Amino acid sequence: MVTFVIMAVFSVVGALGVILLRQPIHAALSLVGTLLSVAVLFVTLQAHFLAAIQVIVYAGAIMVLFLFVIMLLNIEEQRRPVMPALRWAAYALGLVAAAGLIAGALLDPRQAPDAAVVRETLQGGNAELIAEVLFGEFMLAFQLVSVLLLTGLVGAVALVQRGPPPGGATRADATRADATRADAARADAAGQRSGGRPPDALEAGGR
Amino acid sequence: MVPTEAYVALSGVMFSIGAVGVLTRRSAIMIFLSVELMLNSANLALVTYAYQWAEAGMLAGISGQTAVFIILSVAAAEVAVGLGILVAIFRNRASTDVDALAEVRL
Repeated sequence: MVTFVIMAVFSVVGALGVILLRQPIHAALSLVGTLLSVAVLFVTLQAHFLAAIQVIVYAGAIMVLFLFVIMLLNIEEQRRPVMPALRWAAYALGLVAAAGLIAGALLDPRQAPDAAVVRETLQGGNAELIAEVLFGEFMLAFQLVSVLLLTGLVGAVALVQRGPPPGGATRADATRADATRADAARADAAGQRSGGRPPDALEAGGR
Repeated sequence: MVPTEAYVALSGVMFSIGAVGVLTRRSAIMIFLSVELMLNSANLALVTYAYQWAEAGMLAGISGQTAVFIILSVAAAEVAVGLGILVAIFRNRASTDVDALAEVRL
């Protein structure tokens, strides 16, 4: 209970920091705090593997990518805030949504499960059980996600590439340039063989 | 023992905060951060329900956690492509303000 309250406070404060802090760097670091508190909540829910993944992939890889881009682009704080009326409407909407979700959660009549039974079933949410489901029940989703990741990789590389995109025209141009260069070299060699001075004469002249 | 409702309520609060962030920020990167927040609250809800239904058997308990694993991969792909688009836009416009990109809309 104590862990839950502390981590809930941390994660809500971090989430508020994400939307209220003006500097993007501060907001991103605040989101890292939220992600780490959610990882602790995962541990309390017997999902130890997901907690580790959360810290390594989310807080480690994804947020580092975010910080990297923020620092690379040197994004400044926003100068023109959103129209005040619109902003207050968004806050009101968020409050209503939060209240509705809390009410929906609290009105649910189901009881909390017996912790001992859950612990026995999930076995600490270990990777072996997740693998069994992921490579059985979720096989299609797993393969689709693999394709998605590959597409994302290719897309990201294609998006940030500078200069003309590699294509038929460019490659043909490069081939033509290579051919021209080869022709010129061959002509040079031929000229040297036939009309030019013999190599030893050149050497002697050089001396 | 913490009731399931408390976790779901926390997840709802985080999701609402993320939604407000998407609505109130102008910079595309801040909108991305808020979307990450919403994805995380959905993950928390899924893990909570996996815990709630673990009594019903191993598959019911673990499939929620497996869904979180897949959401994590989708989030990684989304961030890679999204930040790539952001870098490409910033190179042309020197700005990440979403209002400056009005012609991108359908």
